[in-house]
Amino acid sequence: MIVICENVTKSFGSFKAVDDLSFQIPSGICFGLLGPNGAGKSTLIKMLYGANIRSSGTMTVLGRDPNVESHIIKKSMGVVTQDNHLEDALTVYENLVVYSQFLGVPKLTRHEKIMSLLTFMKLDHKCHAPVRTLSGGMKRRLVFVRALLGDPEFIILDEPTTGLDPAVRHLLWDKINELKSFGKTILLTTHYMDEAEQLCDHLVIMDQGEIQAEDTPKNMIERYCPGYLAIIESEMGNPVEEVDIWIRQRLSGYQIRALSLEALHQYLKKHQLEPKVIRPSQMEDVFLEVTGRELSQDA
Amino acid sequence: MLDSLVLSWRLVQRHWLVYRKDLFANILPTFSDPLFFLVAFGLGLGAYVDQVEGMSYSRYMAPGLAMSAALFTGFFETSYNLYVRLVFEGIYHAVLATPLGPKEIVTGELLWVAIKGAIMSFGVTLIVLAFGLVDARYIFLIPIIGAMVALSCGTIGVFATSKVRNINQFQTVYSLVIAPLFYFSGIFYPISSTPQWVQWIAQLSPLYHGVRMAQQALWGENVLEALLVHGSILLVMIFFGLFVSYKNIIPKLQN
Ligand SMILES: Nc1ncnc2c1ncn2[C@@H]1O[C@H](COP(=O)(O)OP(=O)(O)OP(=O)(O)O)[C@@H](O)[C@H]1O
Ligand SMILES: [Mg+2]
Repeated sequence: MIVICENVTKSFGSFKAVDDLSFQIPSGICFGLLGPNGAGKSTLIKMLYGANIRSSGTMTVLGRDPNVESHIIKKSMGVVTQDNHLEDALTVYENLVVYSQFLGVPKLTRHEKIMSLLTFMKLDHKCHAPVRTLSGGMKRRLVFVRALLGDPEFIILDEPTTGLDPAVRHLLWDKINELKSFGKTILLTTHYMDEAEQLCDHLVIMDQGEIQAEDTPKNMIERYCPGYLAIIESEMGNPVEEVDIWIRQRLSGYQIRALSLEALHQYLKKHQLEPKVIRPSQMEDVFLEVTGRELSQDA
Repeated sequence: MLDSLVLSWRLVQRHWLVYRKDLFANILPTFSDPLFFLVAFGLGLGAYVDQVEGMSYSRYMAPGLAMSAALFTGFFETSYNLYVRLVFEGIYHAVLATPLGPKEIVTGELLWVAIKGAIMSFGVTLIVLAFGLVDARYIFLIPIIGAMVALSCGTIGVFATSKVRNINQFQTVYSLVIAPLFYFSGIFYPISSTPQWVQWIAQLSPLYHGVRMAQQALWGENVLEALLVHGSILLVMIFFGLFVSYKNIIPKLQN
């Protein structure tokens, strides 16, 4: 096991950002941590490398307690932080020199290491550019390089693709899959459910500091909203649920789900409804089902 | 322990890399401020003041002004600058994901400040030496005294950083603590000629002890005595400051 958490709680004053959380991350998988804004994902992540000190519970990362031996854990860990926190005054290369020194990368191999990672992230052409001149996608890729400098076996990605264009996202997905194929263990948080479904072997959905659901993406869909959905945007007099037909109110209109495409069509026909879209259930639907937050007040 | 110091040293190297990008703007005030004081007061007031402690007014002020460079470097680096790194740039969020922990970060900050204090006060001393205002025999003591002054004032800055709720509050600390240190530490007049209660308060100023050591060293009189008396008091202050500042800033870095 790369991570073992048992009954981990983190309080800020009387507010519990993480509440009695238990889970494990086995070696070599991509573990997805999902949850609405403020669910406690980043707080949990910071506890894994000792940047936050947990209030109670036990935690083992790479066989050690991060409250005591985070300096050792962090030698084998790379973190893509939620915000970039790059050195804006320095160039791409200088940023990486600074972090190589923090990580103790030997001077002899440093240049080679930096250049090969820049090439890996398709950033080598920006080697001597000042960071403040980079685009958002380039900055994010630089943060990836920074996280990989120490050859980590455990990689944490806190919303790695938020705010990036589809081309950069796909590049990063490729790279994440490549890292996985090298046998790295990955902990990923994201608000993009397609990303979670594509990249993660195992998912945890947390909300208000607690785990609400945990399984493989496929099983989650099976368990929480199997079948097919029709999205109806018009007013729908008085929607009635039937056996194996589920109806959810959405911000604009309704969403009707049935176990099979056939049953869905039958229902629509019977009630003379014109769906805007019909599609299989996705992680997004599971997320909304589990967190019950579509119309959330604090979103 | 050694590993930890090596990591702190790497933060010093980081600071130097960033600092040297804008070297001229960064360094200018440290040298220009004391020199303007020297010219303005030395020539202006000096015309009316015959002698202070048996020497010209410029000669009297020179060692203290060198130490003031360490005071300001020590305070500004650990207040405004540290706050910017901590809150606005947030670089320590990224640094904490490397083997550096909060302790290494604070130690690195203070090492940086001590080194800067040594260099700045020594630089100012070299300039006043060029004007023939100081004695060169004990000049090698200045970087050490400067480092001690910067460190003690650095712990004040770190403590302030752990307490302020926004960056403007440093102005209050400056007005109520740092400016009085500057004016009441014997840089501009001998504390021994002030009322008893001012003398007692001056004893609490780390800058005062640094100034007294620098004065004796650069005037070349009673050097050993000054080092023993004021050096040991300043050391105690530094240890106290380190204790209080670490205790308060670490929860800020790691919450
Ligand atoms: N240092 C702190 N002091 C007080 N409250 C905090 C602190 N850090 C986080 N919180 C609170 O803890 C809760 C969880 O925050 P966290 O950043 O872990 O959420 P998150 O799941 O990462 O959200 P997002 O998806 O928006 O990044 C939030 O309500 C936040 O305001
Ligand atoms: Mg977060």
